[in-house]
Amino acid sequence: MNVASLLVELVLMPLVAFVVGLAMVLMMRRIAARLQRRVGPPFFQPLFDIVKLYGKHTQTSHGLVHDLGIVMAVGGYIAAETMLPVPGMTGIADKGGLVVLAYVMMVPSLGLALGVGQCANPNGSIGISRALTAMLAYDVPFIIVIFGVAFHFGSSNLITIAAAQQAAGIAGWGVSQMPLLALAGLFALHGMLGKQPFEIYVAPAEIATGPMVEMSGKHMGGLFVMQCFQLYTAAVLYVTLFLGGGENWLSFLAKSFAVLAVPVSLAYLFPRYRTEDLVRLMWKWPTMIGLLGLAFLMH
Amino acid sequence: MTPLDTLYLASAATLAAMLVLGDWRRAGVLATLMYGVQLALLFTMQRTGSTSFDLSALGFELSWRFDALSWFFAVVTLGTAFFASWYGAGEWLRAYTGRRRLFQSALAANVFAMLLLLGSGDLLTLFVGWEATSWAGFLLMALAGGLARDAALRYLVYAMAGAMALLGALVVLFQAGGSFSYEAARATLAAMAPGPLWALIILFGLGFGAKLALLPLHLWQAAAYSETPAPGSVFLGGVVGRMGLFALALVLVGLIGIPHLQALAVPFTFLTAQDVVAWVAALTVVLPTYTALKQNDARYLLAWHGIGQGGYMLLGLIVGSALGSAGGLLHVINYAATQATLLMVVFGVRHRVGHTDLNRLGGLVARMPLSFLALLLGIISLAGLPPMSGFVSKWMVYSSLIQDGRPFLFLAAIVGTLGTILSVYKLIHNLFLGQLRAEHEQLNEAPLSMLIPMLATATLAFVTGVAPGLVLGWVADAQAAIGLPVIDYTLGGIASPRASLDMLWVVGVMFAGFGVGALLFYGAGGKTHRVHQLDNYAGGHFLDAGMRYHYSDNFYAGLMHLIGGWYRGSFHWLEGAIGSGLSLVAQGAGGWYRAINPAFYLLAASVALIAWVAL
Repeated sequence: MNVASLLVELVLMPLVAFVVGLAMVLMMRRIAARLQRRVGPPFFQPLFDIVKLYGKHTQTSHGLVHDLGIVMAVGGYIAAETMLPVPGMTGIADKGGLVVLAYVMMVPSLGLALGVGQCANPNGSIGISRALTAMLAYDVPFIIVIFGVAFHFGSSNLITIAAAQQAAGIAGWGVSQMPLLALAGLFALHGMLGKQPFEIYVAPAEIATGPMVEMSGKHMGGLFVMQCFQLYTAAVLYVTLFLGGGENWLSFLAKSFAVLAVPVSLAYLFPRYRTEDLVRLMWKWPTMIGLLGLAFLMH
Repeated sequence: MTPLDTLYLASAATLAAMLVLGDWRRAGVLATLMYGVQLALLFTMQRTGSTSFDLSALGFELSWRFDALSWFFAVVTLGTAFFASWYGAGEWLRAYTGRRRLFQSALAANVFAMLLLLGSGDLLTLFVGWEATSWAGFLLMALAGGLARDAALRYLVYAMAGAMALLGALVVLFQAGGSFSYEAARATLAAMAPGPLWALIILFGLGFGAKLALLPLHLWQAAAYSETPAPGSVFLGGVVGRMGLFALALVLVGLIGIPHLQALAVPFTFLTAQDVVAWVAALTVVLPTYTALKQNDARYLLAWHGIGQGGYMLLGLIVGSALGSAGGLLHVINYAATQATLLMVVFGVRHRVGHTDLNRLGGLVARMPLSFLALLLGIISLAGLPPMSGFVSKWMVYSSLIQDGRPFLFLAAIVGTLGTILSVYKLIHNLFLGQLRAEHEQLNEAPLSMLIPMLATATLAFVTGVAPGLVLGWVADAQAAIGLPVIDYTLGGIASPRASLDMLWVVGVMFAGFGVGALLFYGAGGKTHRVHQLDNYAGGHFLDAGMRYHYSDNFYAGLMHLIGGWYRGSFHWLEGAIGSGLSLVAQGAGGWYRAINPAFYLLAASVALIAWVAL
């Protein structure tokens, strides 16, 4: 690939991710509304929210680290998008791979944690303590899944993983070959998104007692942008690992939205877990399912 | 005179200069320059070479030589000594109230002893170097007195026990092969029966593992390293424990060999010697990391992480593949730069504030922004996140575990990393983020003499993260020196169809992402205005400067509620039980010798003998 077309891909991939991510936020809110017998927001509402937050007259900052935290949160995901192959574009997916992507995805969390910490609000810090604890919880099944997939396909290169599934057809997809790992992955994905019943670390219903307590204006707007990227990244990664990746945009988007619809639909049916219960749950069921899947895979 | 002679001469001259001039107010600057000269000599010499002199004692020849493995560890040793000495050469030394000559001499003695160890030309020289390193380390640890002396004495017990184990191993090996040379040892070990070979592995493991603080020989290290004066702690924390890894690499990999370890089965199990060492390493990664998580003193927190990071090095090394062993060895240099940075920042805070209690600090980013920057780079590297060098070496270890099909070791390695992320966030949060205390509002940034070395080592950790190929050549040569498969590398990392990494692109894209993120944040929307830290949501309560509005104690309360009960102090119990057992045996021996209750001890000894014969 020549440098010019690579640079075009590096620009296009995050842009596409943002636009698709906006649509995913819309879908998530519409599903919540339907389950709660509401109409839900109009089509452009996710975009309007971001524009409104950026355009607010009062923009308070608690210092440079508060600002840079948001920059890291958004910038980390922009970088991550270039490592996720999509139909027709591979970006720098061959220069990193699955493990690199998993670690680049932690950079936004670190940025958010730094930004919240600088705000000097103990409620925010408690929220970060919960968020990092949750990360320790859902990442255990997630890394079992990463190991299983990389071992099964003999590579941690996402292009190779997607190509192997596409060549073998649906019977060769990760979900057909490794159903237990796919199930564990779905659990981990749900925890990673911070949706109910695992949303205590985001505390969206009581922002005064969570990491968002000092976030407003552009800071909150930046986090809205981050959420678009986050939903997109999680869904596309799952599709790449288990559902054959993207042969064409139509099937790729359909699969990505369908994957996301599962945790989002389940989210509004359950009450929430306390932090230590979340850890206990994640270390028990999805981890056991994942390990069982790994045992089948390796023998 | 050979280049190695010159290096040893320069190191001995540094020690002599410090013994004579150690009290001089510019002694720190002189020592730093002399370490710089040693480093320059090292870089100008060939990576293999020997001294022109041999010593003879009791009919045995003692000889010294360098190979690429020695050279690699010597670079880390002298580099850490250079920056640690620089850190302590200016304002720190002026404020130091202890015995300066003793301190400077102890540091120089450590460097000299470690170079002697690294240049060991045979097993006997290795033992001499090992002892010299242990005693020099003890001197450095003990010189502050008080808590430091107690911790150093505890270290000494482990070091002495380790030395005895090592001596036992050498005696067994000499009996079997009739020589202390590496070549003879390699041939003897290749032909050795499983029983004696297991005994040797255990003895060498106990001897060298105590220095590396492998589980369960790790209890001494955190206190001993933390209570040492700042530059000494930086040196100890950065590199001294790695001498254990050097010796294990030399013996387990260089003399016994990975294929032999893979073939050596643990009786009645499906495990091999390689699995056992790998699992000791993996447990050394996980357990100390979660002990670090609950520390309330920044120095102890880092020292506990130091133990865990040693586990990654051994884990990578013992996997034995080109990728894994390169990752393990690369982590030695990456970790040294990282840990030196972190300790320098923490001791910089101690220099200004007077303590490192994580429950009595906070908000220092406003007063010490450059120290914050250095610590931020350091924690990213320690946690193993891109773009820092710690990520590259850990990535190599993870990838090798995937390729080798070792899911549980992979899980342990990443669980260790996740625990590190939690722990280092607590470190940076409790030190630099959150509320700045009223009594710290007039603090100054760390002095320039301390700031420059910490920023320099942080920069090194960053540069070798972006372009790991700069140091992977040294690692590849070290691999070849001990018969490991050699890594195929590029400037940006590794190019392999199974797992490739090009940090030049990854970091480039990350910074481009941050650039776009900054453009979005600063270029779009209204202008932000800075508010005071007390202009904060407090549920309607009025905040004033005297009110503590900072979350620090029991930072991970939810997690600790779940896993806190797992810290039952089992290793402390084990250490106590061994101590009590030895005390009982000593009491028995003393009683027998002084004829107190001889009949009872005779009876006990007879019963033990009969039981042993019968079983």
